[in-house]
Amino acid sequence: MPNINGTKTLTEWLTLLLGVVILLVGLIFVIMGADLAMLGGSVYYVICGIVLVASGVFMVMGRTLGAFLYLGALAYTWVWSLWEVGVSPIDLLPRAFGPTILGILVVLTIPVLRRLESRRTLRGAV
Amino acid sequence: MRRSHLLATAAGLALACSPLAAHAQFAPAGSGGSPTAAVPGPGNANEPTESGPKEQSYFAGPSPYAPQAPGVNAANLPDIESIDPSEVPAMAPQQSANPAPGDWVAYGRDDHQTRYSPLSEITPENAGNLKVAFTYHTGSYPRPGQTNKWAAETTPIKVGDGLYMCSAMNDIMKLDPVTGKQIWRRNVDVKYHSIPYTAACKGVTYFTSSVVPEGQPCHNRLIEGTLDMRLIAVDAATGEFCPNFGHGGQVNLMQGLGESVPGFVSMTVPPPVVDGVVVVNHEVLDGQRRWAPSGVIRGYDAESGKFVWAWDVNNPTDHSQPTGNRHYSRGTPNSWAALTGDSALGLVYVPTGNSAADYYSALRSDAENKVSSAVVAIDVKTGEEKWVFQTAHKDVWDYDIGSQATLMDMPGPDGQPVPALIMPTKRGQTFVLDRRTGKPVLPVVERPAPSPGVIPGDPRTPTQPWSVGMPALRVPDLKETDMWGMSPIDQLFCRIKFRRANYVGEFTPPSVDKPWIEYPGYNGGSDWGSMSYDEKSGILIANWNITPMYDQLVTRKKADKLGLMPIDDPNFKPGGGGAEGNGAMDGTPYGIVVTPFWDQYTGMMCNRPPYGMITAIDMKHGQKVLWQHPLGTARANGPWGLPTGLPWEIGTPNNGGSVVTGGGLVFIAAATDNQIRAIDEHTGKVVWSAVLPGGGQANPMTYEANGHQYVAIMAGGHHFMMTPVSDQLVVYALPDAVK
Repeated sequence: MPNINGTKTLTEWLTLLLGVVILLVGLIFVIMGADLAMLGGSVYYVICGIVLVASGVFMVMGRTLGAFLYLGALAYTWVWSLWEVGVSPIDLLPRAFGPTILGILVVLTIPVLRRLESRRTLRGAV
Repeated sequence: MRRSHLLATAAGLALACSPLAAHAQFAPAGSGGSPTAAVPGPGNANEPTESGPKEQSYFAGPSPYAPQAPGVNAANLPDIESIDPSEVPAMAPQQSANPAPGDWVAYGRDDHQTRYSPLSEITPENAGNLKVAFTYHTGSYPRPGQTNKWAAETTPIKVGDGLYMCSAMNDIMKLDPVTGKQIWRRNVDVKYHSIPYTAACKGVTYFTSSVVPEGQPCHNRLIEGTLDMRLIAVDAATGEFCPNFGHGGQVNLMQGLGESVPGFVSMTVPPPVVDGVVVVNHEVLDGQRRWAPSGVIRGYDAESGKFVWAWDVNNPTDHSQPTGNRHYSRGTPNSWAALTGDSALGLVYVPTGNSAADYYSALRSDAENKVSSAVVAIDVKTGEEKWVFQTAHKDVWDYDIGSQATLMDMPGPDGQPVPALIMPTKRGQTFVLDRRTGKPVLPVVERPAPSPGVIPGDPRTPTQPWSVGMPALRVPDLKETDMWGMSPIDQLFCRIKFRRANYVGEFTPPSVDKPWIEYPGYNGGSDWGSMSYDEKSGILIANWNITPMYDQLVTRKKADKLGLMPIDDPNFKPGGGGAEGNGAMDGTPYGIVVTPFWDQYTGMMCNRPPYGMITAIDMKHGQKVLWQHPLGTARANGPWGLPTGLPWEIGTPNNGGSVVTGGGLVFIAAATDNQIRAIDEHTGKVVWSAVLPGGGQANPMTYEANGHQYVAIMAGGHHFMMTPVSDQLVVYALPDAVK
């Protein structure tokens, strides 16, 4: 029986929290990444940061699109990492390990986000 | 469903935050809450534009011509008289020239300082059974209220029935080599305030007299230089001071050095005896002032302790002791590495450091520029310089040589062996020189270096020497993609740090507008652990570091604002400066701020691991690398200094050297994982390791007693390497010996 009374469950709160974390990471990426890009360094961070900010915002709004944006950013991260350092575990560790852990959590939130979305639709219909 | 979700989330977050990435522990010197530890960054090196309330720069320091205050270091010992070199008695044959197979007579075992022992009871097959035979407590460690400046770095020597060693604060002991029982102990009463950068005593020197007959006290004696600048001789059998040496067994090494304060100059290495002359060098605390006490090298009669000669860089023709209010020339390059004597050629090989004020060279004399960061061969009969080979020209990177030279024979072009010496350097360039002439045996080329640099009036040299015939103990110049971290965020932080600094590879010139990256860093490459060499197999063992530094010059006003002061300033507070770290460089236009190239928030190095390596080089077949791998696991290291417990051989910074044995093993601790290990000399495989009670930042040694082989390591720890301090000498043996 769907929860239609609007109170949020713990998993939903944790999903929102994850959205906030991704938003914050995205903001750090954008701000520090812009600094790095202006110093002549890699532009990966600023680009990835913009996607992460969008992902975080949509997740906080309870939109499944947020999760898919994150997974897109993760795919970009892996492609960039492999391009930059190749298959070198020690070098992939700082680049891809943390984002992949977050990615697993994001995948887990997809059903929750779907539920939030359908609830909004249900409520809209009532 | 909900519960499993929660668990998964919690587990995931825990994983993401866990300190999985191991790191190098590395802290700036004097990091006891010092407010000046951080590099000021771009554009911040010259504020304030207006003068601060207190013009500390106008503390000019006492005149160098001022007489030395009574009680400073060893200054209350009376002066010692001089004798002519011809009056030095002929030297008796020394055991260090040809040690008994089971003995370890000198710092590097023998006069060649090979760190090779023929002992072969312990082999790659049985090393896994090694057990602790005994431990010995020296009793020297920081007491409550004392800043930890300890790093004993001691290597015992073993001669006949005695294991002789010193504590970090210079007390001398004779131990029973089988049981570790103390036979005698000579306390020498070094005060805490005499500790310079580090309380270290790398060892004592064993000398047999030709004047005192066998069976009389002090026929066999131990000679030691102390932190408070005394040269001490005690009887090897009883530990009593030698009455006929100096004044009651002691010589005042502060004589002729002029104005100083305790802790400014110190001895930490065992002085070699060559042709009856004890050759003494000393450390001068880095970064204090341009006109610091002299780095003079001196020779004393090993029988009487009387002065024989001095080698004073800016007084090259005057080898006498200064009298009246004269003193040895100030600010000259000092030498703090262990010296190597060569009785066959009558030379002593002095690895030199830099002139005082390491990072600014405009005030150095031509004579200083010729001999700094070099190997200098000095004639022990006269104190004259025989030859010089420089390893870094006009050094402003603290590339002073910490290693001891190892002597060996290299095959010459005509098939005749060439008497050679191996000189490791912090640059990771290892020079092999003909010890008769100082000419390279393996090719050395001068390659263009960044010049003239950016500091007005202080140009860099257009070229620097590279030893192209030896494998370089370094990694390629750093790139942005070499930045590392636990997460993309700290990697990003390090990428920004990298891009904000000046960096054009090795020899990036110092700058004041923004920081510069120094790689190789001042911890090496090779540092004081030196190398071990197995003459039979021709295998040379080298351990080395990959620890870049992040440096910036600051204007005098900024230096004052940061509270940088020389050690002899009345306002000096320990922690506000010191060797290896930030320094006032008083008397020059700039101060210096030095930190490891790290993420100061996590304490992790910015560059990717490994941070420490060990390499075996085949010297007999074209100097090929036989094997090479990271040295040190992540077990005791991690972000925020937390141990990860991981056995991953990440390669940690290391300090201290190796031993190579006839049994085909290399013994080494050195790494910051506080372990000692045995490595198969031929394959590089680690066949045994054990956790020490403290950091193993010392050179191990091995000896035989009661028919069994023992391996000893001082697990004293190292304050700068942030490893645990202990006062324990740990000695291992096979179970047969440990009954």
